[in-house]
Amino acid sequence: MALHLNLLHEEFQEQRQRQRDPLKIGMMVLGGLGALMFLYYMWNAYKTLEIRSRLNAVQHDWSKVEPNVTSSQKRSAELNAIIGTTKVLDGMIDGRFYWAPFLEKLSRCVALNAQLTSIDGIVLDDNRGVTVMIEGLAAGREPRAAAEELRQLLLEQLGQGYHDVKVEFKTLEDLDTLANIGGANMAMARFALSVAFHPTAAAVKAPSPAPKAPRK
Amino acid sequence: MKKLNLTKDQIQKLLLSSIGFVVLLYVYFTFFLGPLNRSRDSMLVSINDLTGKVGSSKNEMLKATNLEKQATAATTRHAALKASSPEGAPIAWFPPKMKTFFANQQIDKATARLEGSVPFKEADLADWMRYNWLLDLPQTDFATLGRAIAELENTEPLLSIHHLNIHASADDPQFQQVNLNVATVMLKR
Repeated sequence: MALHLNLLHEEFQEQRQRQRDPLKIGMMVLGGLGALMFLYYMWNAYKTLEIRSRLNAVQHDWSKVEPNVTSSQKRSAELNAIIGTTKVLDGMIDGRFYWAPFLEKLSRCVALNAQLTSIDGIVLDDNRGVTVMIEGLAAGREPRAAAEELRQLLLEQLGQGYHDVKVEFKTLEDLDTLANIGGANMAMARFALSVAFHPTAAAVKAPSPAPKAPRK
Repeated sequence: MKKLNLTKDQIQKLLLSSIGFVVLLYVYFTFFLGPLNRSRDSMLVSINDLTGKVGSSKNEMLKATNLEKQATAATTRHAALKASSPEGAPIAWFPPKMKTFFANQQIDKATARLEGSVPFKEADLADWMRYNWLLDLPQTDFATLGRAIAELENTEPLLSIHHLNIHASADDPQFQQVNLNVATVMLKR
């Protein structure tokens, strides 16, 4: 085996040391990574620019459509408000109580031997119906029977158009005075009738023909 | 595996390189890639948002067109109801109107007095007010009154009689005195 003498041992050692310098290796690695990261960043920036151009195009489209949409929305809101208001007002109109048909029915019930002196009617709130207080005089051989006849007739007539009809005497008393009907003197009675009913099915239009007048 | 023998100087340099690497990563993600991604994400959200709006705007405009067609009757009716409230304060025009109306029905000396006005609670009726009036008809007969009330109820849809009082006139039993409490719905002026 030949003897091999390394006379440049120290120089080789120094060269190896320089090649193994961790800072140098680290800087190289960092440089490589930096280059990769820069490329990745550029790729992302390119994609972002592309997205920005898409956004600009969409914004342009929207700016063209927006005034029409805003006016459409405004008009829709306005129309919905009109529809809502009309609906509520129509509900009020349909839900109101028509007195003319009631007065017509009442006039049909008053016979020749009866006279009404007062009618006081109230439409109760919250759709709770209608109450009417009727006061009057009845004359006849049996004045109380005449008053009862009126009550029965009212019950029958009002029952045809309204619901839950109640017609009750509040007072019924004989009077001392006599009434002259057709030349004959008749006894008289004073009555007060309480009428209550619910006009749920009574959204009847008021008729144009005049109601028949009761004798007063 | 060959053991890596590092000198103190090399270890220091290695440590410095590592710190540099961490700093590089931090700067890269915090000041470069992070803002770019955030900007991109926000632009994508905006694009989606606007695309959705553009898409729905077509439906919106179509709906408005359809609604316009459907609401023709309601619009006409609403205009008619609005027209029933003339310009000016109701107290200025409603009593003369009632006086004329009843005079045309052969009931003279009719008077109307305002008892009060209240706004509606319903949101749909924010532009409308309820006015309560007392109509006094000092002399009429039952048949004429019946005709007049029928005409009033048919021609004034926004008027409702909530209290009616008819009593025989003390002076002339042939005639009756009538008080009507009516409520009218009128446009706020």
